Amino acid sequence: MSFVYSLPALHRTILSGLVLLFTAGIFVPSAPAADKLTIYSGRSERLIKPVLDAFTANTGIQIELLSSGTTELVNRLKSEGDRTPADLLITNDAGSLELARAAGLLHPLNMREIERAIPAQFRAPDNAWVGLSGRFWIVVYNRTMVQPDQVKSLLDLADPKWKDKIAIPNSGSEYLQAGVSVIRATYGDEKTRQFLQGLKTNADSQVYQKSSQIVDAVAKGQVALGIVNHYYVYRHLAAQPDAPIAVLMPDQQEGGMGAIMNVAGVGIVKSTKHMDSAKLLVEFLVAQAGQKLFADLDKEYPLHPDVKTDPALVERKSFRAALVPLAKLAELREPTIALIEEVGLR
Amino acid sequence: MSTIRQQLASPLQLLVLASAGIILLPLGYVTAQALSADPVVWSRLWATRIPELLFNTVSLAASVAVITLVLGVSTAWLVTRVDFPGRRLWEGALVLPLAMPTYVLAYVYSYLLGFGGPVEHLWQLVAGPQARIFSPHSYGGATLVMALDTFPFVYLLSRSALLSMNVSFEEVARASGVSRLSTLWRVTLPLMRPSIAAGVALVILYVVSDFGAVSLLRYQTLTYAVFQQMTGRSDNTAASILSLLLVGLALIFLITERWFRQRSRFYQTTGRYRAPQRHRYGWFGALAVTGYLGLIVGAAFALPASLLIQWSLSPEAQATLDSRFFGFVWNSGILATSAATGGVLICLPLAYLASRRPTMLNLGCLQAAYAGYVLPGPVAALAVLVLFSKLAPVFYGSVLILIVAYVIHFLPAGLQSLEPALQHMSPNLEEVARTLGLGIRDTWRRVTLPLVRNGFVVAWVLMFLQTMKELPATLLLRPVGFDTLAIRVWMEASEEYYQLAAPSALLIVLLSLPALALLISKDWRAA
Repeated sequence: MSFVYSLPALHRTILSGLVLLFTAGIFVPSAPAADKLTIYSGRSERLIKPVLDAFTANTGIQIELLSSGTTELVNRLKSEGDRTPADLLITNDAGSLELARAAGLLHPLNMREIERAIPAQFRAPDNAWVGLSGRFWIVVYNRTMVQPDQVKSLLDLADPKWKDKIAIPNSGSEYLQAGVSVIRATYGDEKTRQFLQGLKTNADSQVYQKSSQIVDAVAKGQVALGIVNHYYVYRHLAAQPDAPIAVLMPDQQEGGMGAIMNVAGVGIVKSTKHMDSAKLLVEFLVAQAGQKLFADLDKEYPLHPDVKTDPALVERKSFRAALVPLAKLAELREPTIALIEEVGLR
Repeated sequence: MSTIRQQLASPLQLLVLASAGIILLPLGYVTAQALSADPVVWSRLWATRIPELLFNTVSLAASVAVITLVLGVSTAWLVTRVDFPGRRLWEGALVLPLAMPTYVLAYVYSYLLGFGGPVEHLWQLVAGPQARIFSPHSYGGATLVMALDTFPFVYLLSRSALLSMNVSFEEVARASGVSRLSTLWRVTLPLMRPSIAAGVALVILYVVSDFGAVSLLRYQTLTYAVFQQMTGRSDNTAASILSLLLVGLALIFLITERWFRQRSRFYQTTGRYRAPQRHRYGWFGALAVTGYLGLIVGAAFALPASLLIQWSLSPEAQATLDSRFFGFVWNSGILATSAATGGVLICLPLAYLASRRPTMLNLGCLQAAYAGYVLPGPVAALAVLVLFSKLAPVFYGSVLILIVAYVIHFLPAGLQSLEPALQHMSPNLEEVARTLGLGIRDTWRRVTLPLVRNGFVVAWVLMFLQTMKELPATLLLRPVGFDTLAIRVWMEASEEYYQLAAPSALLIVLLSLPALALLISKDWRAA
């Protein structure tokens, strides 16, 4: 190891370079420039960046993006308080947005553009968060393994006949938590518990971190059925049109609860120092062009009534959504998590 | 009394106390939070998650330990006691898997063995179109990946035991008419036992604290569960409780490893050293040995590495090599450089005082610095997060808390190479300098530092390398715009975008190689 001994000059250079870097102040969260927005996004980078790039192209406002878990980001906003670098929060779950609003992290908005574009049931009463696109928690099935009339309701998946034939998301998934919250609100705790226990037994080790993996497992025939948000199915079909999978809108039977709906949405962080730019972004996202872009990128349902849904999707008018109000997802969450833990879902 | 006051007054002493404090406070805080948690939370966790998690963690550690034991000892024996063509090449190649972070190996294997993957296709050619192989997303898959990634620990320790062993013991046994196999069983292996045990304990410690492989292979261990609790829940109580259990578990293995390492000191200095005689095998034997070693190195390094290269050359992957990619490289570099430098600066006074003034206080501080060993990534992140949000919320979301987490986590790796460097240097040298009229500062600058420079460099490289590969703490604590190479690998791989993850993964492996080469001749223990 003779070259180690011959290193002093290099070593000194490295050290002095470091000192320079340290003094350059990388340790202090740098104050963002005026025409720059920082976004905490629970929506994955792939699904949000193109929309934000379009916004940057239109307005010249640069965007710094931190993509991570939704709950993790809300926790982070709470801990950072007024010092947070974030200007906006984008998540894929209304419950998380409502929790952030209840914790006083989001700024109420009084904007005509929002009220004209997004129906009231898809936003907070004070517009502290605004829904941007609709998503449904559905059953994906492998057409070669299952007939669509074999499953009517999500609750059917707890039936022992599906043992080792279903795949589900893990218990940290906000979609799962929101979905179970709606089931609890509709059917009560006892029935929900039985459902979860059945689900746990049937899925066994087929518990996934990512919904895309669930769809993949169904497409390959590793399992027959999975519970995911609808767009994962269309996204898979867009890449592999021959995959033997299809969407089953559950709970549409007479007296059924209706498909479980959630929205992806945005809120402006209370402590933002770039209110005007942030409002511009919200405006962009609720306007027709933004709505089309945001929804289509992920094959979701736009919430603006005048914007057309991607023709590949099941037509929105052809099915019913569950009646539990979105904002209620927040208060339902904690007891839902307790129930999920009690059952011992992974 | 006066000596104590003197010690406390010295600035170096204060620095050391402060460092030990920075390291122990987060651990203490998590412990306090876990212990003060509502008993309802404890009992709920006991009733639901804990038994499964403990069982999964311990059984994974056990199976990996057994496999690495077999692989490590057999390969070490072959390269030290058998002569075959290319022996020296294999001797080095067996260390290569250490350059593969577990999450990289895990993602390669979830492709290779995955449902509808290449191995299954091959198997279906043999066993019919409906045949299935075992899923990598399972106990078996996690065992395979962890064993392939960690057996070099056992290999390295066994190899050095075999090389430093006094061969006359074996010769006496052979001369007394004991068969070759029986000598191996009754003399060689018992002599190697402390080294093997230390290697296996190290493997277990590694498995228990791994996050990357188990998260990608969806195998529920305590470390993974801590991460899931932190990212899926709005309060950290359950995460703290699981962390405390994990720390306890890791502590048990750490103590075991230390105990064996101390015992291994007894015999290694005895006797005169002579190179052991190597058996020369015929062409068939040589072929068999080469095949065996080739299989292991191929599965653990060559195959994954060539897949990474192939994926990196795909058009999808090439398209990601834009300025953003170089931003990630830069972030990784900056973070690793800062953490390694900060770590070395904290290591040095700790190790120095413990070797020059080995008071209870100083030795205690040094031991405290080894706490990082029992703080797996997510736990270190949790600890730092909780502490900073209570005591110094200003730094929350800044690079500083990420670097503090790295330093705490990787300090043991640095100390392990600095400590011996200082111990090997006789204090006489410093004393001579002082008697010849050099001041304290000049003595440090002109005598002490140049003499420990080697250990210094190795410690720095080690911490740099580990920070570069670190995943869970980075995921949890990274500030806005601070995605690293490791983060990119994990984000792409966890959505099964294998090609897109490849360039970052390949770069991590390539950067690890020269560092690995440097460490093999120094201190590889924490590579």
